[in-house]
Amino acid sequence: MTNYILALVFGAFFGFSLNKAGLTKYNKIVNVFRFTDLAVLKFMMTALVVAMSGLYALRGLGLITFPNVPATYIVGNIVGGLIFGVGMALTGY
Amino acid sequence: MKFIMNYIRKEEWSPYVAGVLLGLVGIAAVWASDSLLGASGAFENLAGLIGKAVAPAAFDNMYFNFIMPPGITYGVILLVGVFFGGMIGAATSGTLLWGKKGSANSDEQWKRIFGPQVWKRWALAFIGAIILEYAAGIAGGCTSGLAISGGMLLAPAAFLFIMGMFASGIVTALIIYRKNY
Repeated sequence: MTNYILALVFGAFFGFSLNKAGLTKYNKIVNVFRFTDLAVLKFMMTALVVAMSGLYALRGLGLITFPNVPATYIVGNIVGGLIFGVGMALTGY
Repeated sequence: MKFIMNYIRKEEWSPYVAGVLLGLVGIAAVWASDSLLGASGAFENLAGLIGKAVAPAAFDNMYFNFIMPPGITYGVILLVGVFFGGMIGAATSGTLLWGKKGSANSDEQWKRIFGPQVWKRWALAFIGAIILEYAAGIAGGCTSGLAISGGMLLAPAAFLFIMGMFASGIVTALIIYRKNY
């Protein structure tokens, strides 16, 4: 139950940050592929850097263990990514 | 304090600030509930739930039994949170278009490229969403679940996915925008 409440809170913050970064807008998403507005990349990479340094630091201190890391299967990941990009540029998701 | 309140009311944050916020949420999610942030998996859980009720035979396969078991999972609740979080974000900046005229197709750039028709917007969103969800199923996650959450654990899958995503995204944008690229 507490896990569900946490999920709701994390989700709300997640949605909030997406909205404030403008990633809920079609033009933001598609313009990153046109190289006219790189907000998506700035947002994603900042989140990545902050989270990976925090997570690896916490794991180094022995405070957390990693949940199951997404599996690598090269063809699946790349083909999935290739199809995903089409949908992303089309809808602005 | 006043500065922070004013910043929250701003419609568009610096992507760096919003990124830091998401990074911290990502850390908190792993720390407090041992889960990653993701979106596409939740749709598959829900689809499985509906599918098992409507056509149990068709959904009785490896994928829906083991890889993406149906049910109200952590991800589904997270998605509900995302929905309301997005609304809160829009409400605090006064740009919530819920129920307002023209809100079904409000993006100026979209209208310039495809036209002002609402049905077109919805049809393209529907088709695109099918492509997105199908691709997320193949790759094992979407932008949030694989690219961001996987990337912060330094999973190779995430970076392969980002590579593919940008390669085809750029080509698709080129085709759609042609001269206006």
